[in-house]
Amino acid sequence: MTSLAQGKNASPRLKSGLAIAKQRFVNSVTIPLLLYESLAIFVLGWAFVLMFFEYSPGRLGGPILGLGGSNPFVGLGHFIEMVSGNSVRAVLFRTSLRNTLIFAFAVLPLNLLITLPLAWLLEMVSRYKTLYRTIYFMPVLTSSVGVALIWMSMYDPQAGWLNAILRALGGKPVAWLSDPRAGFAGVSIAMWAVILAYLWQDYGYNMVIFIAALQGVPQELKEAAMIDGASSWQIFTRVTIPLIQPTLLFVCVMTMLSSFQVFDIIQVMTNGGPNNRTEVLLLDIYKNAFRYQSMGWAAAEAFVLFLVVMIVTVIQMRVLRTRWEY
Amino acid sequence: MKKQVWFVMALAVVLLAACGGSKTATSEPATSEPATPAPAGEATAAPGGGEKTVLRMWVHTNNAFNAGYEALIAAYEAAHPDVDIQLENFEYGLYIQTLQTAMPAGEEADILQLFGTWVAQYHERLAPVPPEVMTVEQARQTFYAAPIGGYIVDGVLYGMPQEFNCEYGGVLVNKTKFEAAGLTYPPQWKTMDDVLADALKLVQKDESGMMSVAGFDFVAADPISASFLAGIKQRGGDYWNADHTGFTFNTPEARAQLQWMVDAVKAGVVDPVVFNDSTNFVIDAFFQGKVGIGYIGSWAIALGKTNYPDFADEWDYFILPPIQGDTPVFVADSGWGLTVSPHSKHQDIAWDFVKFVTADVKNATQWNITSGTIPAMPAVAESPEIAAAEPWVAKMLPMLPYGQYLGNMPDRDRVMYEIIYPHILNALQGVETVDQAIEAIDTEANSTFQ
Repeated sequence: MTSLAQGKNASPRLKSGLAIAKQRFVNSVTIPLLLYESLAIFVLGWAFVLMFFEYSPGRLGGPILGLGGSNPFVGLGHFIEMVSGNSVRAVLFRTSLRNTLIFAFAVLPLNLLITLPLAWLLEMVSRYKTLYRTIYFMPVLTSSVGVALIWMSMYDPQAGWLNAILRALGGKPVAWLSDPRAGFAGVSIAMWAVILAYLWQDYGYNMVIFIAALQGVPQELKEAAMIDGASSWQIFTRVTIPLIQPTLLFVCVMTMLSSFQVFDIIQVMTNGGPNNRTEVLLLDIYKNAFRYQSMGWAAAEAFVLFLVVMIVTVIQMRVLRTRWEY
Repeated sequence: MKKQVWFVMALAVVLLAACGGSKTATSEPATSEPATPAPAGEATAAPGGGEKTVLRMWVHTNNAFNAGYEALIAAYEAAHPDVDIQLENFEYGLYIQTLQTAMPAGEEADILQLFGTWVAQYHERLAPVPPEVMTVEQARQTFYAAPIGGYIVDGVLYGMPQEFNCEYGGVLVNKTKFEAAGLTYPPQWKTMDDVLADALKLVQKDESGMMSVAGFDFVAADPISASFLAGIKQRGGDYWNADHTGFTFNTPEARAQLQWMVDAVKAGVVDPVVFNDSTNFVIDAFFQGKVGIGYIGSWAIALGKTNYPDFADEWDYFILPPIQGDTPVFVADSGWGLTVSPHSKHQDIAWDFVKFVTADVKNATQWNITSGTIPAMPAVAESPEIAAAEPWVAKMLPMLPYGQYLGNMPDRDRVMYEIIYPHILNALQGVETVDQAIEAIDTEANSTFQ
């Protein structure tokens, strides 16, 4: 009986046989996956082509894949319109891009502010650690639609408990999701309300990742800092944070990516309202593609979203990269 | 060597599966009769030994509608034992996506349910109605002007309507609240001022001053658009230019209608921040006891009964008086109806079935009663069966002939839901002035022609 564990002492003939077997295994896994991936590449390629056309699936268009004719070639026209156009869709694109950036750049720091200290605190807890982790992680397992409905009931202007608290404190109730005039720090209340709901659903995921990272920080480094007279806060900021920087990078990139792709929770809670205050790019892309049948325009918007996400990710990777290991 | 042969065979299976997967790439229907429907027009063995011609029919998921279709399919198949019509239904959003992916690929079903106003956008991918089935003139005589209007594009008929999609003029009225407020019931409204007067007495606010019951909730997208366009017409204006190549929203009539709405809000019949499309949508709010008079199409009746079976208040559906003058001119979309794919191998049978369902008075009556919709045919709307089953239709009968087709807009949904409704809502909420809203509607709506 030969096993892979014996490979180190095996004869060259056996090694060669193992190599062939490995190669076959790799081929049998990767080739079907490549075929599977090629379907996605075809779809992406089609989207890439579409963004240069004023394409609507309802129109016959030209003889080749319906391109041309009543689905005319517009070149970079969509992108020029996005930047300088005054059409409804161009204005809405700029609004939704702005809202998406607000959403993503608000969610990331707020998420880190919640998850990192919480993970640190949980790491110090000695009893019921698993229970706490389970409780905090549960919203992640809940469907976005369910989360949206829960928060909508809390935000209900008449029966929601947020307004009930405000009333009890003698304050004036707020139409959290439907008042376009109400705002805070230059951002509409509806956007803050959606951000809060999104954070509630999402923070458990990053918290678990941070807990894993904190568990990997060598205890002796913290003890050495303590012997040198560092306070808990100094240990956290000067020792722990630098050591978990690769995890921080991962969390920042993933949180930013998912924030740029936010869709379902906003669609259910506000559908982009009030007065487009929560209209984000993915929602706008969806509406243009499937409600207004402007597939070409939607494809161009998707390409812009891809570029924005790529640029932000590259910047994050440059800023947060580490040049050392421990 | 054997392993390599096996590997190549496995790859071939994967490739074949990938190539053959295009039929399911458009998502499976939510519920379909057979798990694997036969391709359009394919002949299959009939129980009696003969061959059946199989036709597929796509509809969106609406239990009441589809119960009506199933009964008529059974009746048609009984009369035509050699035909098998397979009904496949899709959730509304998925249906639109499926149409958009299947039609360019030529893989749509033989018979397609379409909303009439969509026909102008899809007509290049639809089969015209053969003259021997029905001519344009016959269609105009058979159906009301509003529902048939959408099915005629550039003088060509592309399908037949089944319902009159009337969003104008109908309101849900809460009898319990009327009586509690000491108001006359049933309401005896002669003018819209009478409606507003009643509405003001129905309004309730909580201790913090927030409106808890709206007197007259007209702040949803469809009623706002419908009453805005009807108001323009009833004031003698029009939102189309002479040759229908542009909109004319920046008019005194449009401004006057919007001002009327703003004044109604200022009078206090509804708070548009608390009652609108996204918060306290009129149907939900009405059947939760938060609305006295709720402006909505009669389709809401069946929906309310289904979704709120335990609603204890007594209520009914009434017709509003004209906004201006004595003539209730209004515009309406073309409602749901049936069309045929140009790729169907049996268009003759498909059209025969479509005519059987939509243009036969008995069958159309049965479908309208089952689906709870307003008939597209005057002959059906005026029938005693409809009067008995849908009493609100009898109330609407004097109004229906005044309905005009909305007109083929280049981007109807965008104009209605992203231009007219948001700007009017802004004006009602005080975010824009009437002038700003009207000018924005005019500019933005005309930009959809570019």
